[in-house]
Amino acid sequence: MGIEIINEPSVIYGKPSLASIDDAIIKPTNEVPSKKYFMALSVTITMLLIGAVSLGLTFYKGTGLWGLKNPVGWGFDIVNFVFWVGIGHAGTLISAILFLFRQKWRTGIARFAEGMTIFAVMTAALFPAIHTGRPWLDGYLMPYPNQHWLWPNFTSPLLWDVFAISTYFTVSFVFWYIGLIPDFATMRDKLAKNADSITQKIKKVAYTVLSLGWRFSNRHWSHYEMMYLVLAGFATPLVLSVHTIVSFDFAVSIIPGWHTTIFPPYFVAGAIFSGFAMVQNVLIIIRKIFDLEHIITIDTLEKMNKIILVTGMMVGYAYGMEFFIAWYSGHEAESFAFINRAFGPFAWSYWIMVSCNVIFPQLFWSKKLRTNIYFMFVIGVLVNVGMWFERFVITVTSLSRDFLPSSWSYYVPSLIDFGILIGSFGLFFTLLFIFIRTMPVVSIAEVKAVIEGSQPTHHHDDEGH
Amino acid sequence: MSNTELYTKKPLPSKLLIFGAVVTLIGAAMSGIAFAGDVQRASFGLIMALMLLISVGFGSLFLIALEYLVGADWSVPFRRITEIVAATSIISILVAIPLLLNLHEVFTWLRPELLQADKYVAKKAPYLNETFFLVRVIIAFLIMAAFYYIFSIRSFKQDLNPTEGFRKTSAKFAALFMPVFAITISVIAMDWMMSLNPKWFSTIYGVYYFAGSVLAALAVVTFIAITLGENGYLSKKLSNDHYYNFGALMFAFTNFWAYIAFSQFLLIWYANIPDETLWFMDRTQGEWMILSLILIFVKFGIPYFALLTRPSKGNPFRLRIIAAWIFFAHVYDMYWNVGPEYSKLAGLKGPVYGLAELAAPIITIGLIAVVFYLVGKGKNLMPVNDAKFKKSLDFHL
Repeated sequence: MGIEIINEPSVIYGKPSLASIDDAIIKPTNEVPSKKYFMALSVTITMLLIGAVSLGLTFYKGTGLWGLKNPVGWGFDIVNFVFWVGIGHAGTLISAILFLFRQKWRTGIARFAEGMTIFAVMTAALFPAIHTGRPWLDGYLMPYPNQHWLWPNFTSPLLWDVFAISTYFTVSFVFWYIGLIPDFATMRDKLAKNADSITQKIKKVAYTVLSLGWRFSNRHWSHYEMMYLVLAGFATPLVLSVHTIVSFDFAVSIIPGWHTTIFPPYFVAGAIFSGFAMVQNVLIIIRKIFDLEHIITIDTLEKMNKIILVTGMMVGYAYGMEFFIAWYSGHEAESFAFINRAFGPFAWSYWIMVSCNVIFPQLFWSKKLRTNIYFMFVIGVLVNVGMWFERFVITVTSLSRDFLPSSWSYYVPSLIDFGILIGSFGLFFTLLFIFIRTMPVVSIAEVKAVIEGSQPTHHHDDEGH
Repeated sequence: MSNTELYTKKPLPSKLLIFGAVVTLIGAAMSGIAFAGDVQRASFGLIMALMLLISVGFGSLFLIALEYLVGADWSVPFRRITEIVAATSIISILVAIPLLLNLHEVFTWLRPELLQADKYVAKKAPYLNETFFLVRVIIAFLIMAAFYYIFSIRSFKQDLNPTEGFRKTSAKFAALFMPVFAITISVIAMDWMMSLNPKWFSTIYGVYYFAGSVLAALAVVTFIAITLGENGYLSKKLSNDHYYNFGALMFAFTNFWAYIAFSQFLLIWYANIPDETLWFMDRTQGEWMILSLILIFVKFGIPYFALLTRPSKGNPFRLRIIAAWIFFAHVYDMYWNVGPEYSKLAGLKGPVYGLAELAAPIITIGLIAVVFYLVGKGKNLMPVNDAKFKKSLDFHL
C-alpha cells in the first residue's frame, strides 16, 4: 500500500551514553572559565555599573534626571518594566505549558529558559522599585497586613502587579529549583570521588545542601513527578495572568490607545513572542560555546521559530484589530491616537515596531530561513528590538498627545534613562553568566528520559524505525 | 499489518438520518411559526442558529488545522469525525438565506432613520452597509467551503487512493488556514453579533467568539466520538487515554473563554465609558442580570469543576455528559449575546424565550445529525490511510 510512514526525529541527536550526557552538561561548571568568558562577564558588569551609577544619581538628585515631563509622565521606567516581564514569559511557557502539552522538544531548553525567566523577572522588578525615586519606601510595596490602610488603593492595577509578579516569581523559582534538585544530586555524586582541593570541597558542600538529600530513590522520583505536574498546573495560569495584569496597567485607564479590550491576550502573545526570541538568541550562543549542539538541536530551534512566527502574527492581529476598531468606534480621539502613532511625530518608532514584529518574522515561513542559525539570530534580535518599541509606542505616543492640545509635547529620554536601560541588560546577563558556570543549564535527568530507547512504551512493531 | 485490520467499517444507522431529519423539521417548524408571528424575533432566533452552526463547522476546521500544525497523535483517530462535522459550516447557508432576506429586521444600521439619529453609527457606513456586508458574508462562506474541500474532501479521497505527501500538503494548508481563520471568524463575529448593537465596539470580541466556537466544536466532536466509539463504529484499539485529551482541551478552552470574557468585562466596567458600557448595561439590568450571573456558572463554573480532576477527563461516560453540557453552554452564551439586542429593539424590559429562540439549538442539533449521516454515509469513520493512523491508535498518556 502507498501509505507513508512518519518517523519523527529524536529530540536528542545521536544516542549519547548516559555518562556522556552528565559530562557534557556538567563540564561548564567544572572547568576554569576561559578568557572569553571573563571578557564577556566584564562587559556585562560594566553595563551593570553604568546602571548602578545612573540609579545612584537618580536616587541622589531625583527622577527629574529622567526625560519625563508633562504630559509624558511614564517613559523608560514602564517600558523597560514591561519589556523585561515579557522576556520572563518564555521560560514558564516552555517548562509548564509545553510540559502539559507533552512536547518533548522542550526538554533541552526548559531549564535554561526557566533560569532566564527568573533573571528577567528580577530585572523587571527593579523598575517598580526605582520608579518612585524613593527606594527607601519600597518596603511598602510588599504585601503585608493592611489593618492601617497603608495601601490605599486596592483597585489600582499597579498594586495587582505587585501581587502578580511576586506570585509568578515565587512559583517560577520553586518550579526551577524542584527541577534542579536531581541535577544537583548528580553533580554532588560526580564530585564525591575526588573532592580533595578546597574549591572541590566547597562545591561539594554547596551541591550537597542544594540537593536536599536526594538519593534517586523510586519514592523520590514519584514525589518529584507529582510535584512537577502540580507546579506546572499552577504555573500555567500564572503565565497568562502576569502579563494580563501588566496590560491592565494601561487598559483600565481611559487614555485613547491604552484602553482597548484586546490588551490582555495581546500582551500575553507579545510576551511569549519576545521571550522566545530572547531564549532563542541566548541558546544559539550557549549551544555553540558549550558543545551542546546535539542536545539543543536545530529542530528545537526551528520549533521555537515557529512559535515566534505564530505569536508574531497574533501580535499583528491585535495591531490590526486595534486600528480597525479605533476607526469603527467612530470616536475622533480613538482614531486620532492610532493615526498619530502611524503618522505622527513618533511614526519612526511605530514603523520599527511593525516591521520588526510583524513583517520580518514572516520570513520564518521559509523552512530554509528558520533553520539557518545566523538568520534566526538576526530575526530574534529584531523581534526584541520591535517588542521594546511596542511598549515605547504604547506608552509614549498616547501620553504625548494629551487631551489638551496645548500640553502636547515630544518625549526625549535622558542619558540617565539610557544608563538604566543598559544597566538592566547588564544585570540580566551578569546573572545569566553566573548561572551557566554554577548550575546545569540543561536538565540532566529529563534529557536522559528522552534519548532514544529510554521510553518505557517503546514501539515493537514490524515496520521498524 | 495493514491499517484496515485495525478498523472495520460499520455503516451509520439510518435512524441517525431519521432522528436528524425529524429534529430539523421540528426546529424549522418552530422557527416558521415564529416567523409567521414576529419576523423580527424569529430572525434574531436564526442568528443564534447561524452562529451556532458556524461555531461548530468552522471550529472543526480549526481543530483539524491545529492537529496538522502541532503534529498531535492522539486526535488522528477522530479526525475523520471532525472532518465530517466541518460540513456544518457549509450547511449553515440554509439558515443564512432566510436571514439575508430579512436583514433589515435585525440590523438597525440598515435603517436610514436610525443612522441619522446617531452620528457615531453614521460614521460606520463605509463598513456597515448592505453591499459590503453581503460581500463579506459571501467571502466568509467561500473561505469555509475552500478549507472544507482542502481538509475534509481531500482526506475522504485519501481513503480510496492514498496519496504520497498528503500530510505535508495538509500541514502547509493548515499554516495558511490559521491567519485566514483568525480574520474570518473575527469578521463573522463582528458582522453578525457585534453589529447588532452598532454603537458598541470591543477589540476582543472576535477572540471571544473564537473561544466559544472552539469549545462548541470540541464538545460536538467529543460527543459524537464517544457515542460512535461506545457503539463499535470506531477501532477497538481506542482507549480512555484518547478521550482524555478531549477533556483536557475542553478544560483549557473553558478557562480560555472565561479569561477572555472576564478581560472584556473588567476593562469595560473599570473604564466606565458610556459608549462601551452600554452593551453590558443591556445585560445587567432587570432579569438579564440574573441570566448574566448564570452564564458564569453555566459556561465556566460547572465545566471547570467537572473537568478539573483527572478521572473525570479519563471517563468517557462522564466526558460525554460534560460535552453535552458545554454545547448547551455555548447555546446559552449565544443567547446571552443575541437575546438582549432583540429585547432592546422590541422595547422589552427582560429576556424572552419561546419558539423563536428554542428553534436555534434544535435546528443546529438536527442539522449536525443530518449532515453527519449524509456526509459520513459509506465512508470510513477513521482516517485509515493516514500516515500516523497506526501510531496514533497506540497512544497512551
